[in-house]
Amino acid sequence: MTEPAITVHALTKVFPVPFRRRSIVAVRDLTLTVEPGEVYGLLGPNGSGKSTTLKIILGLVSPTKGRTEIFGRDSRTVRSRAAVGFLPENPYFYKYLTGEETLRFFGKLCGLGGLALQRRTNEMLAIVKLETARDRRLGTYSKGMLQRIGLAQALIHDPRVVVLDEPTAGVDPAGSREICELILRLKERGITVMLSSHLLAQAQEICDRVGILADGVLVREGRLEDLIAIENRTELVLENASETLLKEIESVVLKSKARLITQRKSTTTLEHLFLDATSRAQTGSGPAASSPEDGQKP
Amino acid sequence: MNTSGSGFAGARRVLALTANTLTDLTRQRVFYFGLIFAVVLIASSVFMSRFSFQQEFQILKDVSLGAMSIVTSLLAVVATARLIPQDVEDRTVYTILSKPVPRFEYLLGKLFGILLLLALCMVLMNALFFAILYLREQTVLSETMQQMASAPREQLDAALRGVRESALNIDLLPAIATIYFKACLLAALTLFVSTFATTNLFTIVVMVFVYFIGHLQATARDYWLHSQGGGWIAQTFLAIVALLFPDLQAFNLIDDAVAGTAIPLALFGKTALLGLFYTTVYTALGSVVFYGKEL
Repeated sequence: MTEPAITVHALTKVFPVPFRRRSIVAVRDLTLTVEPGEVYGLLGPNGSGKSTTLKIILGLVSPTKGRTEIFGRDSRTVRSRAAVGFLPENPYFYKYLTGEETLRFFGKLCGLGGLALQRRTNEMLAIVKLETARDRRLGTYSKGMLQRIGLAQALIHDPRVVVLDEPTAGVDPAGSREICELILRLKERGITVMLSSHLLAQAQEICDRVGILADGVLVREGRLEDLIAIENRTELVLENASETLLKEIESVVLKSKARLITQRKSTTTLEHLFLDATSRAQTGSGPAASSPEDGQKP
Repeated sequence: MNTSGSGFAGARRVLALTANTLTDLTRQRVFYFGLIFAVVLIASSVFMSRFSFQQEFQILKDVSLGAMSIVTSLLAVVATARLIPQDVEDRTVYTILSKPVPRFEYLLGKLFGILLLLALCMVLMNALFFAILYLREQTVLSETMQQMASAPREQLDAALRGVRESALNIDLLPAIATIYFKACLLAALTLFVSTFATTNLFTIVVMVFVYFIGHLQATARDYWLHSQGGGWIAQTFLAIVALLFPDLQAFNLIDDAVAGTAIPLALFGKTALLGLFYTTVYTALGSVVFYGKEL
């Protein structure tokens, strides 16, 4: 049996409120595991305890009760962090450093140096498509570029787990799409990803498993397809179906015990429509209708 | 939280953090503090040209070393106070401490960065100070030679020696070094306060109080112990005050240096050790507080 990438066991975090005789329970008796190579989404509304959980996993905040581990190592130990990369929500890096200097700085903190550091820096800049902005100070970067350089610094030491706190928060749809694609590429390379988000459509697209937090309690958890599947319903998507065929299917359904709930034209998503329209505007070609396939594979 | 990797790896991480802190501070243009020193020095040298050369050199040294002490102390407090709160506010501390970086190394990197900045400032200010002192010395030597052109050789030599001895001399160096030790101590204490402070303003206000109490505590101690008899309660209280508030007056060797009195090596050594002791204690206390800080 393989060791879980991240283990959270009976975790509780209570923040005392200064000068008041009360406290806030941010996370309550949370238990979950993230298996190696999977993309795990921690979902929930603002204030549900997502960021606190991630900070405890990274050793930035200490648990009140319970424990967290990264590949079997207690999160409170510095050694556990050799295997993990982290992108905080809305990260601000040192504005006076250029993109390249930022990656070199974080690389040095991870023990990289010399040619290995230079090679890794170049590789990361290429992966996040910031090669042309490598000599620009971060103060001049857009929100999306900052998020990408943040992802690059999280990956600089080739970690086995990447923790992303709201990775697409405040980023435009195109930037958000690029980050999602990067996450999927990480998954292809066998890197475990744990992310928090309240953008459910994106989480649905990239996560293998999700956990839903509400008021610090894990209310639902499991594989995405199991959680969102409606057991007694089946979808049938047809292409180039004639009116006759559709009527025949309808009559077969009527003869059976099944019930036809809805029949409609397939649609694309608003996000894909936006991306298609903006990319066409940039390349100078005219508007074109999106096909249903666009909606599934942008 | 355990430390990670070998001592060499730790030293490299501290070095990276030190270099980054120094870059941060220099790009924040904190060197502008040095301009205050330059203005004071140039203004005073112009103003003092009307005194006798002995008075002029004495006042120039007094004003310069005094200004150097104030500028480095100010720089140590103001530049250090923002380091940690800024990183916490900008969340850069999350990205740094989520790497295999022990919190102690992070704090040490910040401290070394500010100590390096203070050393650079001291070098620049002393270069300016020595240059002006040297130029004034050369001017006075030339004027003396002109005025005593017809005097006997021995008399002229004695006069020139008098000028040289009252200008640049090696006795200035211990006084300059203790100014740096005081700034290091203040930087370490400011860093310690900033580990539990919530704003820069709080840290600066606390440090202003510490600065004044630190300078006055020696006088207060003498008064309590000698004039009031000094029972065990007073002695215990004063010992606590001495630990919490460093005796900053002990780092003032300027008066002796300006008067041309040689500073005994034992006194200099004791002052240096006192500075090292306080700097180490405050860094250790800062590490303990920062270790348990919820980020």
